[in-house]
Amino acid sequence: MSRKTARRIFWAACFLLCLAGFLVSLLSGPVRTTPGDLIRFIGSPDPVRSAIFLDLRLARAVLAFLVGAALALSGAVLQGYFRNPMADPFVVGVSSGASLGAVVATALGFEAAAFGFSGPGLLAFVSGLGIVSLVYALSLRRGGFKVETILLTGIAAGALASALTSFFLFMRSDSYDQAVFWLLGSFQLAEWGQAATIAPWVALCLVASVWLARDMDLLALGDEAAQALGCPVRRVRKAFLAMSALLAALAVAVSGVIGFVGLVVPHWVRILIGPAHRTLFLASALAGGTFLLYCDLLARNLLAAELPIGVITAAVGAPFFLYLLHKKR
Amino acid sequence: MSRLPAGRRGAIGDMCPWYVSPILLLFLLATIAPGVSSWGHVPAVHVPNAAPAPAPVPVVDRSAQVITDDLGRPFARPDRAPERIVSMAPNVTEILFAIGLGGRVAGVTRFCDYPPEARRLPRIGGLVDPNIEIIRSLEPDLVIAFRGNPLRLVERIGRLGLPVFVLDIGEGLEDLPPLVARIGRITGTDVRAGELAAGFRGRIEAVDAALKGIASRPKVFVMLYGQGLWTCGGESYLDDVIERAGGTNVASALPKKWALYKRERIIRDDPDVVFILSRSTADFEAGRDWLAGMAGSGAVSAVRSGRVYELDEDAASRFGPRLVDVLDRMAALLHPERFGGEP
Repeated sequence: MSRKTARRIFWAACFLLCLAGFLVSLLSGPVRTTPGDLIRFIGSPDPVRSAIFLDLRLARAVLAFLVGAALALSGAVLQGYFRNPMADPFVVGVSSGASLGAVVATALGFEAAAFGFSGPGLLAFVSGLGIVSLVYALSLRRGGFKVETILLTGIAAGALASALTSFFLFMRSDSYDQAVFWLLGSFQLAEWGQAATIAPWVALCLVASVWLARDMDLLALGDEAAQALGCPVRRVRKAFLAMSALLAALAVAVSGVIGFVGLVVPHWVRILIGPAHRTLFLASALAGGTFLLYCDLLARNLLAAELPIGVITAAVGAPFFLYLLHKKR
Repeated sequence: MSRLPAGRRGAIGDMCPWYVSPILLLFLLATIAPGVSSWGHVPAVHVPNAAPAPAPVPVVDRSAQVITDDLGRPFARPDRAPERIVSMAPNVTEILFAIGLGGRVAGVTRFCDYPPEARRLPRIGGLVDPNIEIIRSLEPDLVIAFRGNPLRLVERIGRLGLPVFVLDIGEGLEDLPPLVARIGRITGTDVRAGELAAGFRGRIEAVDAALKGIASRPKVFVMLYGQGLWTCGGESYLDDVIERAGGTNVASALPKKWALYKRERIIRDDPDVVFILSRSTADFEAGRDWLAGMAGSGAVSAVRSGRVYELDEDAASRFGPRLVDVLDRMAALLHPERFGGEP
């Protein structure tokens, strides 16, 4: 099978799965609904069905898709950035920093909502971006810019943030159940407002990353080679780092920390359709959104009580990833 | 890379930094502005349109029609008594049934098992994980939430247009009668709820009267069996119940509702009486044996004298009507001399 055919099949499958995922999301839930109900609802809307179909299920599906796209894109960018297949939004400390912010906000009772975020969400966003800026500034201090330095600084800062998070959780055991939301992620409280807040940014970052994709291809040759070929390495690096941090911080701010999507989805895509960054970025966003949509379906329908989505992403993602890895090698 | 024209600069190389930031700033404003106007100000608590709310509301009328919930948010009393009430906490369910509103409860949590009739009602999920979709589908005209429910979730329900009233967890027994009266006010059953509240107040005062001038206050340790030495700290309402029952909570100094006690401390504090919160007699016996077998517990007065008693965990851990039963039992066990004989 030629690469071109494989690519076509991949895109078609992704679109179909994505559409099917949205449809199933609309139809499944603790309140029983049939396709007939949905059609009747479209014909004559009533407040209860409107709340269930649109405000609860569709808003949730859309948010899950957006967050999945943001995380996968962020991961794809960072893997290219570090030229390291282990990189994901956790590596530069965004996720740990953001969960620290959320847990601190919860512990201190900071609940004022703003800009479509809840109080903890807002603080999560700010501290997620804050920790990346800190990591970046620290890495620059050690004379010149080195990818290894930023990677190690990020891991250290992330570990420190995680330790502080555990400390705050320990001190305020009352807020534990809310903290679980931030540490393992959930779309239980999804709202249109959140989707509308992050959608433009996800779109902007997607467009920008596709626009800069060739520079990312050049970076794969090494910074010196890329520079020689006319790529303004430092600016490109800065832009990519900022974008990936923004995407990850937005995702955490609305849904808590959801692991594995950013790490694994770009690998799937690379294995299936190749490493060129333009298609990789686009396909990662679509595949990541679809993947998280299905994970959320499982999270809310598998058991009577809702499962944290972080449990599902790892449990579903890891085996599939291993399968792809060993089939291709 | 041969596809690239020679000397091509990356896309960002052509981009002048000075105009990038203004564009991003505009973009930021554009996304934030609709956020502020469309969802930033949606009131979390739905105020039914039917309730009269003219701009210059007379003070007297206001106090009669609009009450605030324990989050300080205004709640307009509906014209008609609510017919479909969703209770988001077991203690609320117990109070609703005690008022006689059992027939109007449309949904309860999976923990609402008292009175037994409550078990037959539709379940909305748990205390921290109620299902919003199920709540909405029950079409409630009143949702009574509790501080134990995650606030964000309660607000989410309010934004669906459902009238939500949030109640706080009391700090002491004296908060129970007002809580019952408040639930009566929002459900349009002021009279019956008022009588119930007065009954509770009378029973609490009766215990106070019976214990007037007691010579000693036994040291009490409350143990939540099954998870180590979990006990109620000074911020718990059980601390107040112990105080009113004529005892002293050894963990009173801990500034928490619930806290894990250290084994060394319980030996040092040497409680005279231990209450084990348990769901069944078998549970209680297992807890009593565990305590007796704990290293060093032979030095604890309560274990030596056998003053280790069972306390219904559900009754004691829910801020509801049965808390008064807990007070009666505790007072009778701590001061049998005042309540007519041996326990």
